[in-house]
Amino acid sequence: MARLAALVVLAVVVLAFPTAAPNAYILSAGIVVLSYACTATAWNFMGGFTGYVSLGHAAFFGLGAYGTGLLIRDLGLPSFVAWLAAGAIVLLVTIPVGIAALRVRGASFVIVSISFVLILLLVFQAWGTFTGGSDGLVVPRPFPDMLRPEHHRTFFYLFAALLAVMLVAWWAIDRSRFGTGLKAVREDEDKAQALGVPTRNYKLVAYVVSATFTGLAGGMYALWFGDLDPIFQFSIMLGAYMVLMALLGGVRHLFGPLLGAVIVGTGLEYFKLEFGDTQFHLVATALLLGVVVLFMPDGIIPAAQALVKRFGPQDSSIREMTAAELLERNRAAAPATTEGDPTAEPTTAVGQEGRHAEGETTTEGPGEGEGPRRGGPGGSSRGTSERMEDAAPRPRTGPEEDR
Amino acid sequence: MTGTLLFQSLVLGVLLGGLYALLAAGLTLYFGVMRVVMIAHSAFLILAAYLAWFFNQQTGMDPLLSLVITVPLFFLVGVGMQRLLITRLRAATLTMMSVLLTFAVALFIEGMIGFVWSGTQRRIQLPYSGASIEFFGARIAVVKLVAFGLAALSLALLYLLMKHSRFGQALRATIQHREAAQLVGIKTDRVAGYGFGLGLATAAIGGTALSLDATIYPSLHWHWIGPLMAIIVVGGLGSIPGAAIAAMVLGIGQSLLQVPLGTTWAQTIFYVALFATLMLRPQGFFGGRLAQRF
Amino acid sequence: MHSRSTPRMSTRTPSRRALALAAGATATALVLTACSGGSDGEGGGGGSDDPIVIGISLPLTGDFSEPGKGVQRGYEAWAQFVNEDGGLLGRQVELKILDDQSNADRVVQDYEALIAQDEVDLVFGPFSTRLVVPSARVAQEYGMLFVEPAGAAAEVFEQGFDNLFYAAPAVADDHYNYLADHILAMPEGERPQTVAVAAMDDPFAQGTAYGLRDKLADAGLDVVVDEVYPPNTTDFSSIAAKISDSGADMVIGGTQYQDAVNLIVALQQLDYQPTLAAFSTAPTNPEFAAAIGSKTEGILSPTGYTETASWPSNVEFVERYTELHGNPPGEDEANAYTTGQVVAAAVEAVGCAEQGECQQELVDWLRSNEVETVVGPLTWDETGKPQGAHLIQQYVDGEIQIVLPEDAQEADFVFPKPAW
Repeated sequence: MARLAALVVLAVVVLAFPTAAPNAYILSAGIVVLSYACTATAWNFMGGFTGYVSLGHAAFFGLGAYGTGLLIRDLGLPSFVAWLAAGAIVLLVTIPVGIAALRVRGASFVIVSISFVLILLLVFQAWGTFTGGSDGLVVPRPFPDMLRPEHHRTFFYLFAALLAVMLVAWWAIDRSRFGTGLKAVREDEDKAQALGVPTRNYKLVAYVVSATFTGLAGGMYALWFGDLDPIFQFSIMLGAYMVLMALLGGVRHLFGPLLGAVIVGTGLEYFKLEFGDTQFHLVATALLLGVVVLFMPDGIIPAAQALVKRFGPQDSSIREMTAAELLERNRAAAPATTEGDPTAEPTTAVGQEGRHAEGETTTEGPGEGEGPRRGGPGGSSRGTSERMEDAAPRPRTGPEEDR
Repeated sequence: MTGTLLFQSLVLGVLLGGLYALLAAGLTLYFGVMRVVMIAHSAFLILAAYLAWFFNQQTGMDPLLSLVITVPLFFLVGVGMQRLLITRLRAATLTMMSVLLTFAVALFIEGMIGFVWSGTQRRIQLPYSGASIEFFGARIAVVKLVAFGLAALSLALLYLLMKHSRFGQALRATIQHREAAQLVGIKTDRVAGYGFGLGLATAAIGGTALSLDATIYPSLHWHWIGPLMAIIVVGGLGSIPGAAIAAMVLGIGQSLLQVPLGTTWAQTIFYVALFATLMLRPQGFFGGRLAQRF
Repeated sequence: MHSRSTPRMSTRTPSRRALALAAGATATALVLTACSGGSDGEGGGGGSDDPIVIGISLPLTGDFSEPGKGVQRGYEAWAQFVNEDGGLLGRQVELKILDDQSNADRVVQDYEALIAQDEVDLVFGPFSTRLVVPSARVAQEYGMLFVEPAGAAAEVFEQGFDNLFYAAPAVADDHYNYLADHILAMPEGERPQTVAVAAMDDPFAQGTAYGLRDKLADAGLDVVVDEVYPPNTTDFSSIAAKISDSGADMVIGGTQYQDAVNLIVALQQLDYQPTLAAFSTAPTNPEFAAAIGSKTEGILSPTGYTETASWPSNVEFVERYTELHGNPPGEDEANAYTTGQVVAAAVEAVGCAEQGECQQELVDWLRSNEVETVVGPLTWDETGKPQGAHLIQQYVDGEIQIVLPEDAQEADFVFPKPAW
């Protein structure tokens, strides 16, 4: 009941905002925040479920925006048909990109995601005859007769509707078998694969869904804003804002990115308006990102929950725990871990003590442990150094072991 | 395209490739020792260039002399960064989170440069800025030659250090197999810190070399990080010789492609090479299997 | 691993989450509302004693920060001089300048905030064509007069704006008209035969360079190099190599500021010696000569402004500006000052300065009247295009001097260009 009430309150706040906004600027700032919320939520389809951090989602935003604009300009499609078609184009483009990007993990994936933005920036700058180049592209207004405040109000509701669709989709995936598979990838990809989760296809689908929604948000932005410039559509900063917002709010939570977008978006508008003649907003963004990464990588929502939980009844469930948290707890409560992980290392035949030692060594990985090293028999038995390196930074323990 | 222009472009490509090689070596070094993609590498590069410019503004002396200050300073900052920031991250999510953390560092540096020296574009004016020497029909700008010499010398020193010193052996051992290195008594955490410092020192040298012949502005680092990251993937993550070779090949390729395609399209060579590498040989052309897994 | 659920968690947590979120959203809405409430009183009103607030967004950081700051100096000098002389309509003038970081997204938000939130009485234009078009649209949709100092490219005047006026003598394509005429008037055997063009991918810079290129190409000159580079380019060595390799007699640079410096240094490094070299914007910047090592001799540039012009308001402007800053104003400063003069003339004539119907009266007045400015008398056609021409300057004996047209000449046109 409380949940329903909260949702109603939230919906009322969103729907009433355009009427309550004192002037068109506040309304336009509200649209910017909503568009941030859309992009951050779209990002979270990939980042939240699979744990793959893409810093390059601005590429899809830009593609959606330019796709919409170009389809209207060159094919004369009606605005919202062009918008949907651009979403479809983004979907198609993402498939090969996703296949390339997902051939690798972690570091290389981030590099690919950033590179995709940079390559699109170059292409859209250089291919001036098609994209308008650095002069930018003017997207015709879908509602040419509307006055500016009215235009803002319409788009506020359009963005809100798009966000609602995304939230419902995220919620549905979160509860589905597909979502569980994705989360397994996030916690331990090798183990998920060994357990029969089609990790590659799952990741690809998540990536495509995420990119398509980002593209739709970009297309909506193009229809609203009207002026596109490659430097600002294909901007790494935009991708970084998406990550920051999602992380700040909490990537494991439906409303995390929305909350993050409201905080970061409002903050950005404020900083740019009040300290607009300095680079202060960059420094502020940097500090916020650093604090989030270092001190609350799970975001505000879990942090707030933990605070509430401290005063509420103790809960022994481990459902909301990440593998990483578990690891830390296990390490603290050593030698609690006795059950190994047969699926990940079928070739390693070592005793309990040795396995435990290895588990401890590998979990610390390059993070450099302070504790005494007891050697890694698993490593020596495998021979190749790369294999050992491969395993190093990934968690070796699963939640089941806690029971 | 005439033969002279081709040769001129080749020479320019070699000069550019040298700088790329030094910087990519630093970037891949961080990855080797810490599994960290150091997005802030090029921000430190630009910071070093700004420091060289500022040094030149204040003292009127040659910006190369600022190396005496910036190289040790950056080394210490690198060690400090590894110790105080990177090691705080959870091991399980280190690679992803370190990207975001170093991204934040890059933004912070960009913002602070803008804060302190404003967004105005800067360029050092040297008496020999416009000077050049003739080289088999090609013209080589003296400043570019100095920058290349500096990069080549640093790269050679780095190579000697890695191959022929005890510290270099320890560093390579740490890169190859951290646990085994610990078993033979290497203090890998300390070595990793020094490795990080060494990587940042290459940024200091590269930045100073860059400042001799380039306009600098706070957001310039985005211009550099893309090609550098592509280079280290093509070369194989963690492989210093791979990074150097890939840098040289792609630098020359970029320079030659600029003739028929123009500057913007030519830059795409890095990303085309990146995607091609991932499709054909995801571990890179010189890296081990290590590269594919991170 | 999430298959077994704990009932308590699944009901309680999300609701807490949702409640917190709803509370957060409400708080944000309140904050946003409160922010605006605070500033309502300042901008509005328009009583006789309130200052006239003028909203401006300028690129103080980013690709166009150099000229952006010049425009800022010009605006600030204008406001200071107006206030020293008793203000506009007896009211003091106050500038509210925001930084758009050379960013089109920002510039729209900036003008939206200035007009709708701060309720400024007047707006002045930003710098650079790329930013003028989006910001002019905002001003148009709020019915504001939009006089701008820098949107010289043809496309600005093709957008159908009826509130826009460009406060300079001529649009970009016509900047080199006197130079083109002069070159084409040379005997066939003496004039340059081949031309190399390099232009920033920017409507203004390309407008200037292509205006000259097309006139020369139509007359039979050979365009042997035609390069475009994005605004963030810093390495010009390969473009310079191409130009140098082509051996073109004449080089035309469609440039802003830093790119011209970089391109010229790169050309010098290759020891390329053209007989004519023309670059837009940069050579008129006071720091230009030092930036390229003082090897400026013979470099040409179009300018809409000269500090030595004898227009009455200019003599006063140069004197007061020099007193204030220690150096005479450049073109950017003068264009900004001109913008101020144009708006001030309309305000004084119509007798109002506030949002609403007043703005249309100001627009109507400017449509049908001539304004005396530091760049001479200005009139506009219905698209806001000024009806004048630009002067051609050249570095002669280390000084930038007007060489064309001949009736405004301060020094003789130097041809061929001495080595740099």
